[in-house]
Amino acid sequence: MPDGEADWTALFRAANGGDRVAYARFLQEITPVLRGIIRVRGRSVPAHQHEDILQEALLAIHAKRHTWDPARPLRPWLYAIVRHKVTDAFRARGARVELDLADFIEILAAEPGPDPTAAGDARRLMDQLEPRAAEIVRAIGLDGETPGAAAERLQMTEGAIRVALHRAMKRLSLLAHGTLR
Amino acid sequence: MTTEDLIRRLAADPRPAPTVARTLARWLGPAVLAAFASMAFGWGFRPDLLRAYADPVVALKVVLPSLLAGAAVVGALRLARPEGHTRGSVAALALVALTALGLWTFGFAVTPRENWGAAMQGSTLAACLLSIPTLAFLPTLALLLALRRGASLSSTLSGALAGLGGGGIAASVYAFHCPEDQPLFFVTWYGTGILIVTVLGALAGRRWLRW
Repeated sequence: MPDGEADWTALFRAANGGDRVAYARFLQEITPVLRGIIRVRGRSVPAHQHEDILQEALLAIHAKRHTWDPARPLRPWLYAIVRHKVTDAFRARGARVELDLADFIEILAAEPGPDPTAAGDARRLMDQLEPRAAEIVRAIGLDGETPGAAAERLQMTEGAIRVALHRAMKRLSLLAHGTLR
Repeated sequence: MTTEDLIRRLAADPRPAPTVARTLARWLGPAVLAAFASMAFGWGFRPDLLRAYADPVVALKVVLPSLLAGAAVVGALRLARPEGHTRGSVAALALVALTALGLWTFGFAVTPRENWGAAMQGSTLAACLLSIPTLAFLPTLALLLALRRGASLSSTLSGALAGLGGGGIAASVYAFHCPEDQPLFFVTWYGTGILIVTVLGALAGRRWLRW
């Protein structure tokens, strides 16, 4: 949106000249855009922290506002700061990153391999799984329930169901081949 | 604090601080002068200064490190913008480095093989390797302090450029004292001295230039 950019640049330039109203408007105008960027890039961070990250980004823009060269376009400068701060904020929260498993479903589901439930002793093997994992395997692998339906019944997200299923199948496969005891 | 409150607070202070280049201009000049003065009064000019520098090969002792420092400072200033890059400056630095390499090769060519060791050794090696980092201290510090106000996305590289700038300045200042005119000596050891400061600058940058 070229109009938006022209507006932002004009506002920020006025702000650099000491115009408080223009600066407030500039910050208000970029805030929803930054919020969107953080939401899209920040799926691995719980949503309630997004506003904190947004505020960190605004503070960084404020603290480094003298590094913008008025002869250059504003947006690359602005986004470079935001990308840096957002990445930083995610990394800082790395210890408690909550992965959105939905992102990984395609990769996990695509892995080929022998079907361990085909073995005659599948149910005996499944007794060695955790009850929850066994239930998921039984529901989807043996009883043919869809992941969506199983998710609803077990009150888990569909992504979590798929991942649990994938892990359980892997474990079953190892058990079936006698490589795990 | 809500985001609205934050915006209100930030908007109360719209005027930006002075640019990094302006800050650097204010601090680097005095730092270079201080380095030059300590060379002049602490180390002393070489007695045959003017005669020696009439030889263009010897003059390169001052010229090459100065060019290196100039390219490094320009690169560091560019990198101090978050969207900045150093492509042009890296090319300039590479050009200076290639010239130095050419001079070094020239040194080997004009020196009889049996004298290579002695030419490289010189007689003031320890002084050279101590003096360049010492004289580099203030200019490098000025660069690092100015860059701290910047917004470099690669703090280590910015720190290295600060060290390269400070080291280059120090080497060209030290050249006013240094009596060694063999390219085999000064390319090798000025290069090593500058490299030491560059590594120290990179380490300092990694710590101090994060934001």
